[in-house]
Amino acid sequence: MHIPDGFLNNNLAGGFIAGALGMLGYCLSKILKTVTIFTGALMGNNGNSNIDSVSFGFSDNAGKYFQNLATIAIWVFAFQMFNIPIQSATSAHLIGGVFAAVLAGPLEGFVIMSSVLIIQALFFSDGGILALGANIFNMAFVGSFLSYYMYKTFLNKNHYLAIFAACLFSVLAGSLSCLIELSISGVVSFLTAFEDMMSMHLVVALLETGITLALLKMFKNLTRDADE
Amino acid sequence: MNKKPFVITIPILVVLLASLFASKRPDTLETIAISYSFESQAKEISSLFTGYSFPFIHNQFMSSFCAGTAGLFIIYIFYKVIKRFVK
Repeated sequence: MHIPDGFLNNNLAGGFIAGALGMLGYCLSKILKTVTIFTGALMGNNGNSNIDSVSFGFSDNAGKYFQNLATIAIWVFAFQMFNIPIQSATSAHLIGGVFAAVLAGPLEGFVIMSSVLIIQALFFSDGGILALGANIFNMAFVGSFLSYYMYKTFLNKNHYLAIFAACLFSVLAGSLSCLIELSISGVVSFLTAFEDMMSMHLVVALLETGITLALLKMFKNLTRDADE
Repeated sequence: MNKKPFVITIPILVVLLASLFASKRPDTLETIAISYSFESQAKEISSLFTGYSFPFIHNQFMSSFCAGTAGLFIIYIFYKVIKRFVK
């Protein structure tokens, strides 16, 4: 689903880059807040207590936290390399947005997916540089951040149902937004390509669900045992 | 049994298997682009590992495996740099 350069018009692509940068900044600031600890030294001053000096730094778990994000990103990158044939003359691979968000959280999922997409675009020409904002929107924002809330909605009913709903939403909504972007840019008619786009990605969504369930089980099993 | 090494070796194994067995068929978006005749609008950009191939290695499997492993390493470094930068 990586959109190459040339498919989107420049204004739309620029808008998505600005939006992606804003969201990335927001997520990173929130993440840094969770791994930063503030310590204030309380000093007495004429009976009034005020904070004389405040220092801040990373919490003890910060190193492990970033290591976890890196490990999940590495898994997403590796599994995205594995293209599986799905229909005649077509292949698909894991997006991994639900996998990342369920393991790390929605903000972290967005950052993980964005980092993978940035590296794929810069070093592997997988997805365009100008189209990077749109790809981040489709696969990191819709495919991971929003999909996490779909997962949360169904989580109290059943874990497997929640993963299925999140993966279905991740792939179908992501591909729908991709099609909308392409039709706004005038490269393809929305109504003409809708059926093909959705039917193809329905198969991808089922594949995504199966792989995500297997990977979550494997990853949790390995990291739990490693932590003990 | 310490399973920590598997957390890192599994992605390397997946890259190895992807280099051997990954489908060369076009992905879903490429298929749509071919079906609706707009694939020619795509602008190819050149980068260090374009098409998941390592420069100067002509064996397709080795080229793809080295590029994929380099990708894993780049991601690891990327997070190391972020951590260092914010410190």
